[in-house]
Amino acid sequence: MTAIVYLGLVLISVLLTVQSAHVLYLMLYTWDRADAERKARAPDTFVAPRLSFSVLLPARHEEDVIQTTIDRVVRADYPAQLLEVFVICSQDDTGTIKKAEEKIAELEREGLHNVEVVVFDDKPVNKPHGLNVALPHTTHKVVTIFDAEDDIHPEIFRLVNTVMLKERVKVVQAGVQLMNFDSNWYSTLNVLEYFFWFKSRLHYHAHYGSIPLGGNTVFFARELLVRLGGWDEHNLTEDADLGLRVSASGERVRVVYDDRYVTKEETPPTLGHFIRQRTRWSQGFMQTLKKGTWKQMPTRKQRWLAFYVLAFPRGQALLGLYLPMSLGMILILKVPVLIALFSYLPVLLLCAHFLVAVVGLYEFTDAHGLEATPATVVKMAVAWFPFQMVLAYAAVRAMRRELLGRHDWEKTQHVGAHRARTEEADSRVA
Amino acid sequence: MSHDPTPQRPPRPERPPRPEPASRPERPLRPRSERPERPERSERFAHPERRPRPRPERADRPPRPDRPDRPPRPEQAERPQRPQRPVAVAEPPRRPRRRRPPRLSVERGIFPKLGRNGRLALLFSVLTGLLSHGYHLFRYPLYLTDEGIYMQRAWSLVRETRLSPYTYDYDHAPAGWITLAGWAFPLPKQFETFGNAINTGRFLMLLVHLGAVVLLFEVTRRLSGSVLAATIAAFFFNLSPIAVYYQRQVLLDNLMMFWLLLALYALLRRETTIRSAFAGGAALGIALITKENALFFAPTFMYLLYRRIQGSPSHRFTRALWPFAAAAPVGAYVTYALLKNELMPSGLDFDLANPPADHVSLLYTLWWQIHRSQGSLLNHHGLLYTSWLPRDAFLLLAGMATMVISLWWGMRKKRRDLGFFVAGTLAFGYSFYLLRGSVVLDFYITPLIPIFAMNIGMVTDRLLRRPALRRLLGRMSSKVRIAVPAMLAVLLLASPSTGYLLTVNTEGRVAVADQYQSKLALTHMQQAQIAWVRKHVSPKARIIMDDDMWGELHDVHPFYPYAHSHWNASSDPALRDKLFRKRWQNVDYIIMSNKMRNSIHRNNGDGRENWILAALRNSERVWADIRGGIRLEIYRVNK
Repeated sequence: MTAIVYLGLVLISVLLTVQSAHVLYLMLYTWDRADAERKARAPDTFVAPRLSFSVLLPARHEEDVIQTTIDRVVRADYPAQLLEVFVICSQDDTGTIKKAEEKIAELEREGLHNVEVVVFDDKPVNKPHGLNVALPHTTHKVVTIFDAEDDIHPEIFRLVNTVMLKERVKVVQAGVQLMNFDSNWYSTLNVLEYFFWFKSRLHYHAHYGSIPLGGNTVFFARELLVRLGGWDEHNLTEDADLGLRVSASGERVRVVYDDRYVTKEETPPTLGHFIRQRTRWSQGFMQTLKKGTWKQMPTRKQRWLAFYVLAFPRGQALLGLYLPMSLGMILILKVPVLIALFSYLPVLLLCAHFLVAVVGLYEFTDAHGLEATPATVVKMAVAWFPFQMVLAYAAVRAMRRELLGRHDWEKTQHVGAHRARTEEADSRVA
Repeated sequence: MSHDPTPQRPPRPERPPRPEPASRPERPLRPRSERPERPERSERFAHPERRPRPRPERADRPPRPDRPDRPPRPEQAERPQRPQRPVAVAEPPRRPRRRRPPRLSVERGIFPKLGRNGRLALLFSVLTGLLSHGYHLFRYPLYLTDEGIYMQRAWSLVRETRLSPYTYDYDHAPAGWITLAGWAFPLPKQFETFGNAINTGRFLMLLVHLGAVVLLFEVTRRLSGSVLAATIAAFFFNLSPIAVYYQRQVLLDNLMMFWLLLALYALLRRETTIRSAFAGGAALGIALITKENALFFAPTFMYLLYRRIQGSPSHRFTRALWPFAAAAPVGAYVTYALLKNELMPSGLDFDLANPPADHVSLLYTLWWQIHRSQGSLLNHHGLLYTSWLPRDAFLLLAGMATMVISLWWGMRKKRRDLGFFVAGTLAFGYSFYLLRGSVVLDFYITPLIPIFAMNIGMVTDRLLRRPALRRLLGRMSSKVRIAVPAMLAVLLLASPSTGYLLTVNTEGRVAVADQYQSKLALTHMQQAQIAWVRKHVSPKARIIMDDDMWGELHDVHPFYPYAHSHWNASSDPALRDKLFRKRWQNVDYIIMSNKMRNSIHRNNGDGRENWILAALRNSERVWADIRGGIRLEIYRVNK
């Protein structure tokens, strides 16, 4: 019996080590490969605006931020005749509709007529449904999505116009970055997750043609979107699902993460929101896995990669259960030294992850003209384990919801915390 | 904002052939006129991408016949004007090298291609190594105590899943014999695959040596940019008698050197990626837990890494992960001690006069070793004069001299001569370790051999490239560059006083050097000794011996479970107090290896071997084989 337990410990340790080494590699992919780094960068010069963009702004109870967002999009550095904006609201959300219409009226007084509100009254009330409702209204070549709380870069359209024209791609995912790394205990780690995901890991996925797209700052050729039939309304992570469908159709996805042009966002304001958001993602991945789009990918490598990403939340749930168990076993059971040494391996990788995260923090703050202090690092060290536990908890929660058949949308609230603080950062970057 | 790139613009900066960090500090090229002494060399370090494209010096070039309207060069204006003539007579460009990319830059990873000559030289070096180290590998030199110890510990890992058959007291970190165990375990007859345990270990040393030749060759070539330097380094590494003597033996130093060269190689790839730096760090970490003195090479590694990643976009990650990777294996070693509760001495008592009695301790042993000291290496009874210089004075003296030259060049022009700085400081760091007055054993010289070889190769190559020499010899210079080292090699090989290939034997006649001498099968003497034991001594006998035959007596049937080395018998409580109870009457036989009597006396500072000496006094010699300076004996204790 003990032999089986030991064998299990060793096996799990080795598996964990291999897995986290791989994750580490993905986190460092762009930095490790000069060619990847070069490909990830935005072009230094932009070509003249030619493509036209339809911007979808799905919003639900976003009274606080919607006007600023509309303003930012409309005043982006791109000819107004090549831009149209759709604010998408459900009928019951009168507050947001009112605010949006106020803004539209204000813009029209200035002579800008390219913003419209699209209201829908049917179920389900969620983001993919809203997007599907708005899609027939769009008339421009490229359709893009921003979230209501996004701080977009004014030159993002020029950037995407250049990339799409020069590289002849139909899908561009530009970087999204949480900014408020210093506002609460989990924000640093959450910010870094985004940083590594968009700056490095997504490029790996794009390179191997198996990419779960992000929910915003993603640009599609309208024709492709129509061909793929829009978004899956019953999926909690419709973005990842669509990404895999794009990959399965053989379409190349270009990922641009240039610190200068990222779309700035904020971490969820409270732990509760954070857990709900993470639960939604985890559950969405589980749904997408079950749906089986990944099986339609052409090559085995693509299928494996998609499976790997989608199955990750399940692994995370198991890991969350395993970690305290293994610690307990080592402390209580008095495992032989050799076996215990095997469990040194995952610990080692854990240290490596932390080290990389610390370095990533400095890379991030450096790139955005912010400043990280040793205190931030200490805070990160303290928050590290609880954060992993929160992620594992969210994954377990997602698994439970999935098993119970609850697929409703738990929305994340936005208060615009990143706006006040990133204005200053912007000016320093510029 | 947007503007299309115009055709006149320099090549787009965002797509350089090699990624160059934007933050890299500018290194302005010094104008050629300021560096008159070695003009063509300075250009090697000019960066192709950083070079301003429309160069003003372009005007230096002779007017191209198809563009007669170009203004003449300033010097040309002073000379009598030649009539403009067609292509054939146009002066050859004076400084064509100016436009070539640098041939070598260790810092930026610009290395010349290996090429056909390089491949041939490498193949030749590997074959030489195979011959010099493989031929008579199992016959020369004598099996040594330490070889026996490492094999016995590997044996213990395979057979008992322990780090040592005796109490493991952290005298060395265990990666070396873990490697040996990993090598012997899958072999068909395990430790007896090549005859006996030490032979099996020696075969691994041969393989490790061949790997090390390739690594040393490539490392030297990349540090110097020269195949010649690499070939010279490999020559000494393969053929020096001191190299053959120690590198054939199963020593931790040989394994350590392999990992170290691998770690160095990882830092000398064209691009220092995070992965290669991580692998290099891990290799250094393994070297450290193979033999701790690898630590004295580490500062050079750090500096080289620092220079290589300066300004690269991933430098922060590399800078953090390289030391992490190096520390990881060391951490595993410490964790092992921690898990066994053997990290700290009991009661945190580091009193050297009063060693902890209840359990061994990693940190105590370390503390003790740091404070061990013995007389200077340099006095006339020191190892330098009694052992090392007689084996190969040429390598050691030339190595020392070239180390000084490397350091001089390297310090003077650290940017340009990074390779020399690296080679020089590697040698210096380890020489410092040897000379600083701690305990030095005979074979501690081993790691210095490849490093000295590297220095000799690099400095010789550079000396033969001197422009003065080139001016003196003109076209001959390239031939001389090959001929001088070749002649030196022939001289070393042909002269009997060097011992490279020939030697003067005890009868004063020229003979093939010991390491290749067919008549001299030293280990056969030891095998005869064991054969006698097997024939005449009962397996139940309590035997005091040396570690070199441990594997033979414990791993080959019939086993001699009560045969132990005098080192362990006099120090391990389990043997000393239980089996022998410190009484000479409890010893049945004493098997004396060569010089074992000396080491008993040397180890007897506190009288711990007195009872063994008493047994020796009360015994009679029953077998002996004495040839030249070698004495092997067997004594039976008369009770």
